[in-house]
Amino acid sequence: MDESVVKFKVIRNTILVLTAIVIIWSVKLQIFEGRKYSRLSEENRIRQKYAEAPRGKILDRHGVEIANTRPGFYVSIVRAIIDETTLKNLSRILDIEETVIIEKSMIEKNPNNPVKIAHDISYGQLSLIEEGIDEFSGVEVGVEPLRNYPYGELLFHQIGYVGEIASKELEKDDSYFIGDYIGKMGLELYYENILRGTHGIEYIEVDARGKEVGKIAEKRSIPPIAGDDLQTTIDVALTESVAVYLEDYERAACVCLDPKDGEILVLYSKPGFDPNLFTHGLQKIQWDILNKDPSAPMYNRATMSCYPPGSTFKPFIALAGLDSKIVGNSRRFEPCTGMYRLGRRIFRCWKTHGSLNLSNAIVNSCDIYFYQLGSLIGIDTIYDRANRIGFGKKTGIDLPNEKNGILPDRTWLERRYGRNWTRGHIFNLSIGQGDILVSPLQLACAYTIFVNEGKIPMPHIIDKNDTTFFTTAISEEALETVRIALAGVVDRGTGTLARVPNIEVCGKTGTSQNPHGEDHSLFVGFAPASNPRILVCLVVENAGHGGSVAAPITGRIIKSYLSSSPDNMFVLSD
Amino acid sequence: MFRKIDFTIIGSATILALLGVMMIFSTAGPGLMTRQTVWLGFSILVALFFARISPRIWVNLSPVIYLASLFLIFIILLKSDVYPKRWIKFGELSLQPSEFAKFATVLMLANYLAAKKKLQNFSDMLIPVAIAAVPSLLIFVEPDLGAAQIFLPILIIMSFWAGMSGLKILILFSPIISAATSFSIYIWAIYMLLLLVFLYFRKQLTDLIYGLVSNSLMGLIMPVVWNSMKVYQQKRIIAFFSPWIDPQGMSWQIIQSKIAIGSGRFLGKGFLSGTQKKLEFLPERHTDFIFSCLGEEFGIFGIIIVLAIYVYLLYRLLLLAKETRNRFSSIMTSGVMAWIAYQTFMNMGVTMGLLPVTGVPLPFVSYGGSALLSCFMAIGVCLSVSRTKLAY
Repeated sequence: MDESVVKFKVIRNTILVLTAIVIIWSVKLQIFEGRKYSRLSEENRIRQKYAEAPRGKILDRHGVEIANTRPGFYVSIVRAIIDETTLKNLSRILDIEETVIIEKSMIEKNPNNPVKIAHDISYGQLSLIEEGIDEFSGVEVGVEPLRNYPYGELLFHQIGYVGEIASKELEKDDSYFIGDYIGKMGLELYYENILRGTHGIEYIEVDARGKEVGKIAEKRSIPPIAGDDLQTTIDVALTESVAVYLEDYERAACVCLDPKDGEILVLYSKPGFDPNLFTHGLQKIQWDILNKDPSAPMYNRATMSCYPPGSTFKPFIALAGLDSKIVGNSRRFEPCTGMYRLGRRIFRCWKTHGSLNLSNAIVNSCDIYFYQLGSLIGIDTIYDRANRIGFGKKTGIDLPNEKNGILPDRTWLERRYGRNWTRGHIFNLSIGQGDILVSPLQLACAYTIFVNEGKIPMPHIIDKNDTTFFTTAISEEALETVRIALAGVVDRGTGTLARVPNIEVCGKTGTSQNPHGEDHSLFVGFAPASNPRILVCLVVENAGHGGSVAAPITGRIIKSYLSSSPDNMFVLSD
Repeated sequence: MFRKIDFTIIGSATILALLGVMMIFSTAGPGLMTRQTVWLGFSILVALFFARISPRIWVNLSPVIYLASLFLIFIILLKSDVYPKRWIKFGELSLQPSEFAKFATVLMLANYLAAKKKLQNFSDMLIPVAIAAVPSLLIFVEPDLGAAQIFLPILIIMSFWAGMSGLKILILFSPIISAATSFSIYIWAIYMLLLLVFLYFRKQLTDLIYGLVSNSLMGLIMPVVWNSMKVYQQKRIIAFFSPWIDPQGMSWQIIQSKIAIGSGRFLGKGFLSGTQKKLEFLPERHTDFIFSCLGEEFGIFGIIIVLAIYVYLLYRLLLLAKETRNRFSSIMTSGVMAWIAYQTFMNMGVTMGLLPVTGVPLPFVSYGGSALLSCFMAIGVCLSVSRTKLAY
């Protein structure tokens, strides 16, 4: 046969086969399955619906649920079907303006898809809607998993909260849908991907009014996959105690951690806000009040507020001096007479201490001693050691928006004050005032250096075994000297109110000056000295001296933890 | 003026286009219908004009047209700030250069293949592959997966028509099968084994070496390419292979299209009475999914009639390619046939849920001026071939 005839036949037959396939397939679709498809097409009968996955629980260290889910009723509308009267009635029942409902429903581009317009409606509202549902068109009520925070305000800043996804967030990640809840703050935000789970899809048949008739057998639904639970190291009971101890104060931050591995036990910030209120969806007015509140309840003071550390910074000046071998423990300076003259300026001490060695200067928190020590060591050495210990840097905790704080160095001071910055700036730095700013969490982490022979764990809230440590290479001799002095602070120095019977507590008081009023009261302490199991860093805003307010509360926290923890080996008695 | 015009060809194309105008009215309203009608009138004039020109002109013009079309695509890739970069705007008028690139590539391939008297080795295919690959890759970058793929069937049919052995072509393009199977290592392994056996018994060293090397390479490269694809392209492919795991609604579109066609049943719901089409789950209902609306409103009756017109047109083109004595004209006509055939069956396959959604318009019927004009330009050239088919 002629070659061109063969080619002609090959192509002709291919076309015929393809034509046959198209015909066979349309016979299948239009004749054999035609009845089914006709039924489905009648009134846009099938619809796909996303089934929201329950969020993973968040558990405290003893397995107590600190965030879980509960069922809640939602209302959704189908824009293409809803009519005027229905809208009016709905607006009345839900107490949402019609324009707001329409605005909400406009986020969904396809008018045939239902959009959730209200979450967590009350039983009263539910029954009103259910009563009228036969007259309503394009309205659906359903059950969805909602976030629930059993401890409300208490754990607000660490757990954060979930809220309805914003249009901007929707654009960024197309695996979310309109009306989804998404972590907005704290652990909920940081561990969003672990907690969120995966959407399921249901294929639903609806009638002409948009009401569900049943599921479609042809397309099987995909069940949602629940998010994973988050096991944390938080100790709810201890947090509750902390909250009780701080009852009388308006603004405070408290970090308790296990100094050996950086497990966060308490991360408390006051004032807080009940995260359950976000689940309903806040009205704009409520948001405005929340954001304009001068005491900033949305702010996690433990990781995001930075304070001058005051005298709690002195041990690190001492460490810098000892580690760099510039001074020894026996080093004495000009005795403290209550004031120190530098050129025309006078720097004061809070008391007259006389001549002190290094240890006693820490124990009694003598400012004059540290002015002289600091300026002898110099800004570069102070910066080098403090930077190694983690000041001015994020601790790496598993929470969003942690602040760096400020640790000034030579270039920082030059940028800020020009070439003529003075020894006065070093004086201030030496007693933790002036330019230096630290977050309570940073300060807590810095003190773990005395527990771990110069290593500092990265703090974490999620329960894990492989804590990351970073080494500071500060000599053990220097650490031991300062640690003994810290025991002295509580035993006989400025922190005696932090004493706990039968337990040796190490710690340091701090009084942080601030331009907005009374001093902040600080205390950092850990116990038992021989084998520390808890480290507390407490800042009570505008409460006065560290020794008089923060120290006794810290003592109570330590006592409460060591006496209540199940693996307690200390028998405490007054 | 109408002497020697093959009315079977232009007639069936025009009937299809008129059906298209009707369906566009039904799915998108009078506005777009008017636009399409204007385009159709212009396109028919262009086709009739082309019919009067000697086909030989295209031999000399083809490199110019080819380069010009590449240049246009290049321009939009560089200049367009709209994504995807598919359109070039002249005031009110926006053109889709990829449509004209199809026409230009057919001419260019015909030019090269006609000049080459013998096509035997892989090396003979080097330049034809390059001619087809350049516009295809440029369009792929736009990105327009639907338009980029058309160059492969055109190349295959044209080189087959020009004398390349079918088995040789199969081996040449076997890496594509390798790529398609590489999603599962097991299927790929089975395919490679079959290929090895086939090549072994074929007893041709070059085939064996080429086949093994290219297929293995493709199997290795494919996962990398997959990762560099646009998410929506990946989703379309995933949606096709497993429609149940598809939160983005690609398979939803297929399902809705199937409902539209299936609910048309024997005679359809009647013109303008489709219910699926007016809903918004077929966003491309006047372009890529116009066939499902046709199926809905005219049922299997309508589908078979439209299909018959297509088959008749394709058959006339194929016959013309066979009867034409001039080698260039013959190969070119086969290319036009391949182009229309591929898009027709691809589009129908997609709307009926047989093939993944790739965004291929239905020739002559779908809304789109560039596609319509480009198809009618090709038809015009075929008309001039038909007028001179007895000349060498």
